[in-house]
Amino acid sequence: MLAEIASNLSLGLSIAASPEGFLFLVIGAFLGMVVGLFPGFGPAAGIAVLIPMTFGLQPTIAIIMLAGIYYGSMYGGTITSILINTPGESATVASTIDGYPLAKKGRAGPALVMQAIASFFGGTIGVILITALAPSLANFAASFGPSEYFLIIAVGLLMLTTMMGDNKFKGFISALIGFAIGTIGVDVMSGQQRYTFGSPELIGGVYFVAVAIGLFGIGELLHCIFNGQHRQPATRLRISFRDKEFWPSRQDYYESRFTFWRGSAIGFVAGVLPGSGATLGSIIGYSVEKKIAKDPEKFGMGEMRGLVAPEAANNAASAGAMVPLLSLGIPGSGATAVLLGAFLMWGLQPGPLLIVNDPEFVWGLIASMYLGNMILIAMSIFAIPLFVKFLDIPYVNVVPVIVLLCVIGAFAINASIIETWILVLSGLVGFAMKSYGYSPAATVLALVLGGMAEETFLQTYIISQGTMSLFWERPVSLVLSILLLMIIAVPVTLSLMNRAKGATEPG
Amino acid sequence: MKQWFAAGLLALAVGYTLYGLGTLTLVTASGRPAAGFFPLVIGALLVLACAINLWGDIREWRHAQRTGITPVHLADPEAEAKADALGVDAHAIDGGPEFGRDVLVVFLYICGFVALLNVLGALLAMLVFMLAYLFTFNRAHPVSNVIYSLALPAFLYGLFKILLNASLPLGPLGF
Repeated sequence: MLAEIASNLSLGLSIAASPEGFLFLVIGAFLGMVVGLFPGFGPAAGIAVLIPMTFGLQPTIAIIMLAGIYYGSMYGGTITSILINTPGESATVASTIDGYPLAKKGRAGPALVMQAIASFFGGTIGVILITALAPSLANFAASFGPSEYFLIIAVGLLMLTTMMGDNKFKGFISALIGFAIGTIGVDVMSGQQRYTFGSPELIGGVYFVAVAIGLFGIGELLHCIFNGQHRQPATRLRISFRDKEFWPSRQDYYESRFTFWRGSAIGFVAGVLPGSGATLGSIIGYSVEKKIAKDPEKFGMGEMRGLVAPEAANNAASAGAMVPLLSLGIPGSGATAVLLGAFLMWGLQPGPLLIVNDPEFVWGLIASMYLGNMILIAMSIFAIPLFVKFLDIPYVNVVPVIVLLCVIGAFAINASIIETWILVLSGLVGFAMKSYGYSPAATVLALVLGGMAEETFLQTYIISQGTMSLFWERPVSLVLSILLLMIIAVPVTLSLMNRAKGATEPG
Repeated sequence: MKQWFAAGLLALAVGYTLYGLGTLTLVTASGRPAAGFFPLVIGALLVLACAINLWGDIREWRHAQRTGITPVHLADPEAEAKADALGVDAHAIDGGPEFGRDVLVVFLYICGFVALLNVLGALLAMLVFMLAYLFTFNRAHPVSNVIYSLALPAFLYGLFKILLNASLPLGPLGF
């Protein structure tokens, strides 16, 4: 087993460490850091916009670069969380809770170094677990039928929505919107046109890259403008790794020694579960760390463990989200949904057979993630003055870069003005969704998975001759069905119990 | 605005469901689900969920009207709701004014930009958008605005059109 992994990894390294592979890995990691740095331009939009720029590359090299953007953004997103209390993207919201107070205490340098180490730790643990689990899961998944696939999609999306607390209805609606958009075009089973309104442009369906760039790029950008980001002056900060105060103390390392492991483990599990993603992983990581701490009152006041936990978790989650993508073809987050789109564009069909049919690609990608994390920790520590310099650029000047990249990027994919208008409309919807507590990620996930959900549901119906008995006759399906029912029943029961408790309490 | 967005979604959900019912086949002659089955299930769930959501948003709005308390502006409502659900307070990033008018202006500029793409070509449309945007939001630096408006579109045009050979709309001047 170990010999097989070593041989696969050496195959992967021969691709990832080739001059071309390494060059585009560095470019991807650098772009990821920059994408993470600027609020309003997260990894999903970054990947979507940069897809056209990879057209001249080999598929494996292109995906290595796009994946570099994906996990690189987790490193970059925390810099603004720590320095200016503005998360570069949602997965680093939890990092602001203790990151910014640390900077206010004059400990920005140690916070930046510890977040880089935690990110490296979480990311590397995540990739080690991918190496160990992805082939086994792909093997296991080879026996999955349509009922299992349908239930995995349903469980993932329901988990994503129920984890949205008071906004769970908004999350549910977001997913349904994605499914509804996914029904536009020709029905693959019957050939009947649906919601095309006679337009030939819509026969092939709504192209999801335009929707993703709109929701995550223009939508996020408009939300940042709504928050007044463009009215804020540039933040002139100076940080140098030559300063004595730049480096963390021994106590910082000592106190966080178990936090690295806990955050990574929690993040990875959250990432593997379809629909959870890095945002939830980082929040759970923070929540658990605070709950088990002997001194929880220190959290929120500039506690290093409160920064290390979400950072290790969001990087491990971003690696974890690659497991269902590579082994099942089911993305675990909005960004991996866009990556799935890139896979399909390159003619790669993610799923249990990918690792068998295209080992160079899968192992090249996994090996690149080991190298990518090494490059990123070096960049995050030694190039930090350079990245902090980016914050000298006023946001008002960043807005046109994002708009031009989104519009030109969306047009360039298929040279379609209709798709460019879809991008604009999606941008407006994305802004409203982001501002009012809906989940654009759930919409994109459902849009990408809608066709698969419908197909597998109908196959289950046909195979079981209308009884749907496959949902409980097959062992994996039965477990997933029970899980699905629990996801629905537990929050309802808890809410009813809380209400009953509230009614019986005096006053 | 929140309740208006929710009302708009409900209207779209009803339209989606009714249009699907009117144009799509629900079941085949042999009794199997047809092209309209899945859209009908989604439509029905969407109408129900949107109606409940609208009711909740209207109640929230009425409460704000009654008490006169304006809700604090949330910087990232989705992530903060997840944090709330897990007992984590991530609200330190909240507060501050809202810039709805600026959003409208930028959105209209983006619409104008896309409308001009096929008329002026990619390069000129980018230039016009940049000038309009920068002279609205960054009036204090006219010289740098002009330089930036020339440099960024030229760089992106060179990158997409020349280096990546992507197809971009051409204008009357051939670029």
